[in-house]
Amino acid sequence: MKRDHQEICGATSYGSGSGSKSESSTISIPNKGKLWEEEQDAGGMDELLAVLGYKVRASDMADVAQKLEQLEMVMGTAQEDGISHLSCDTIHYNPSDLSGWVQSMLSELNNPATENLDPVLANSDSNSSILSQETGVRLVHTLMACAEAVQQENLKLADALVKHIGLLAASQAGAMRKVATYFAEALARRIYRIYPQDSLDPSYTDMLQMHFYETCPYLKFAHFTANQAILEAFATANRVHVIDFGLKQGMQWPALMQALALRPGGPPAFRLTGIGPPQPDNTDALQQVGWKLAQLAETIGVEFEFRGFVANSLADLEPEMLEIRPPEVEAVAVNSVFELHRLLARTGGIEKVLSSIKAMKPKILTVVEQEANHNGPVFVDRFTEALHYYSSLFDSLEGTGVAPPSQDLVMSELYLGRQICNVVACEGMDRVERHETLTQWRTRMEASGFSPVHLGSNAYKQASMLLALFAGGDGYRVEENNGCLMLGWHTRPLIATSAWQLATTESG
Amino acid sequence: MAGSNEVNLNECKMVVPLNTWVLISNFKLAYNLLRRPDGTFNRHLAEFLDRKVPANANPVDGVFSFDVIIDRSTSLLSRIYRPATAEEPQPNIVDLEKPVTGDIVPVIIFFHGGSFAHSSANSAIYDTLCRRLVGLCKAVVVSVNYRRAPENRYPCAYDDGWTALKWVNSRSWLQSPKDSKVHIYLAGDSSGGNIAHHVAARAVESGIDVLGNILLNPMFGGQERTESEKRLDGKYFVTLVDRDWYWRAFLPEGEDRDHPACNPFGPNGKSLEGIKFPKSLVVVAGLDLIQDWQLAYVEGLKKAGQEVKLLYMEQATIGFYLLPNNNHFHTVMVYDSVVLLLTVLLIPALLQALLGSAFSRFIDYRAWYLVKKWIELLKPGARAEQILQKNHNPEVMFAL
Repeated sequence: MKRDHQEICGATSYGSGSGSKSESSTISIPNKGKLWEEEQDAGGMDELLAVLGYKVRASDMADVAQKLEQLEMVMGTAQEDGISHLSCDTIHYNPSDLSGWVQSMLSELNNPATENLDPVLANSDSNSSILSQETGVRLVHTLMACAEAVQQENLKLADALVKHIGLLAASQAGAMRKVATYFAEALARRIYRIYPQDSLDPSYTDMLQMHFYETCPYLKFAHFTANQAILEAFATANRVHVIDFGLKQGMQWPALMQALALRPGGPPAFRLTGIGPPQPDNTDALQQVGWKLAQLAETIGVEFEFRGFVANSLADLEPEMLEIRPPEVEAVAVNSVFELHRLLARTGGIEKVLSSIKAMKPKILTVVEQEANHNGPVFVDRFTEALHYYSSLFDSLEGTGVAPPSQDLVMSELYLGRQICNVVACEGMDRVERHETLTQWRTRMEASGFSPVHLGSNAYKQASMLLALFAGGDGYRVEENNGCLMLGWHTRPLIATSAWQLATTESG
Repeated sequence: MAGSNEVNLNECKMVVPLNTWVLISNFKLAYNLLRRPDGTFNRHLAEFLDRKVPANANPVDGVFSFDVIIDRSTSLLSRIYRPATAEEPQPNIVDLEKPVTGDIVPVIIFFHGGSFAHSSANSAIYDTLCRRLVGLCKAVVVSVNYRRAPENRYPCAYDDGWTALKWVNSRSWLQSPKDSKVHIYLAGDSSGGNIAHHVAARAVESGIDVLGNILLNPMFGGQERTESEKRLDGKYFVTLVDRDWYWRAFLPEGEDRDHPACNPFGPNGKSLEGIKFPKSLVVVAGLDLIQDWQLAYVEGLKKAGQEVKLLYMEQATIGFYLLPNNNHFHTVMVYDSVVLLLTVLLIPALLQALLGSAFSRFIDYRAWYLVKKWIELLKPGARAEQILQKNHNPEVMFAL
């Protein structure tokens, strides 16, 4: 730095400022000295920063900037307890070495030396809810940032963020913590390409769904509303045939059978065809369910027939296999609870199945699906949707927190957690949890030649009463939506039941 | 919550050079670590992380510096920067407080920024800035190491500024030989700009003459959330959350941001009408989220009938004056130099020589008028080069 200040006004040479994109002119102080022309000395250090006490090699500048960005993402701007250990417990060294200092903080955040993650929370109850709220917001933003990073294939950043999500999640309680943990796990799987295998024992997933059935009203609502529609469709029939696209443990059917048994004029003959995936141990799970239902049918005096069909995918079914009888002989109802969306994973799947259904000439088709769009083409959008959806769902499971979490609850969470994993971590044919909204399904059904069958106020009222029986009805809401019924948590609809008939069918 | 940062990191990278981005981001990062949610400040870590430089009585680039204790009771230190003269290129200890030479020597009392909580007079960034000011303005710079929040709230910083002003005003070695008066200017960036305003107001009340205020991105605020605050929150290194934290740390407990320290032209402010407030040059960065408050400050001065010039730098972010690698830096530095040169040195001296001392008041006004003309010419543009050329050619200037 050899400039003599007296030359500043006297000189007539002009350099230009470095790197600025300002629209202003290239006015600059005359450039006699090295200071502005070259910003590096022999050691390659950025001279401007060196003057201010920071040693950064010019060649490292972009890398330091990137690390600062990473740290910024991870720390954010909110005052949060999660990073307070960086200021309280971490020992900082040599702040002049910017690159090293920033790196050491990144490492510290990824592998915290201290176990006390939120000393401020621990010490100050009065601050805890504010901090927790801020951390919660921070958590959501970090999850989003991680999804963005994954989408942009910035896996280094995504990796740093996913670790930090774990930290933040640990400082939360309840639903938020669980949701964040599941999403973080799913993101991690996606980043490290450790995709979950879907080849789990179906009896295990059935078991998880059983627990989910017990814990919360969603499945009960699904079965109840679908059964209402089927009952009404079967009003005058003497022989009825229900084709269940996902029999599982057959929990929907006892209620229908009992309602049929109580029909004025006596029950119709009831045939049930249950479809399910192959079992790894070759046990005939479907037959076992059929057997149990047969026993129930006998006790309530309903003529009962059962057939089980094993299929990897509903698209593998041909209507002929099901031995459909003509409509004047037997009224057919096709029932799909959380099954149709899986067909969207392969091209032609849903079209094939819908046309098969039409070939079965059903009196009614009942469809229950998750009310969310988890099938968008853009990863971040899917991620955001899913985050909101499952946050509501987990929130509804949380209950009053008075009783200790039951096994049912834990299993239910696992059940949902697997869905989360599939939505976030999988792609292509493996991603089967391709939920779409009622609006989307409506469009598809109508385009495929179905017309809606409206669920009426009686169904609505009974569904509401059912809800009141379970979980005190707090927070759960039934909504009517253009002839369909939705069950939601507070203002967020979570599942939707709709009913369909062939478009050319006339009533009666 | 404010717009997420992910998107905006890219935006703010595009308006500043990379090393500036790294510098300011580093400060942002460090400052986030230092502010605690409960309003306390990690002072030890702050001092550890702050890059400081010692005073240097050996001239570097023609500027030497030394530290003085202005007030023992509060340990108030100031760092004085002086130009090395041709006659005394290597000052020794007795020369440090040698009387200034030259007809008129501006003395700039500088208050460093840091939102009332960060930095010191011996912080590297401010030491560097003050050194530049010496060269550009041919001035003595007195950088005040005022007490900081949250350990020392309002009005400590203002009291320290006032103490420094009185001290400077009473130094015989700082008197300009021409009129045996100390020609005082107050300057500051961020919180320093705020301090400069309040010290100037106090000076007026007490009859000490301050010739001009130079406020760089001055820190003002108010209870209301202005449009610029909402629009720029989180977008260029600064968030509302951190601004609020600093005001809570500085203002008396229980006070809100309409306290006159924060909002001098707000509901609790005192009118400046009819008083001889110094002329002000206010520099506002177009990407600073508190610009609406800074612009309101300018309007407030105008409405009170005070002389004020606004220099609005559209694409500038906070801290643009810390590194000389952008056009805004140069524009402001030239402004400062021209303003001071014209108002202080050349025109009054020349005109007075021609017209005699009876016209000294008139000269003042004329000088300011000419400055205004210069300022209009001095917008970022090719014209500025002409100005520089004209700058050292008095005949050409006279032609104006």
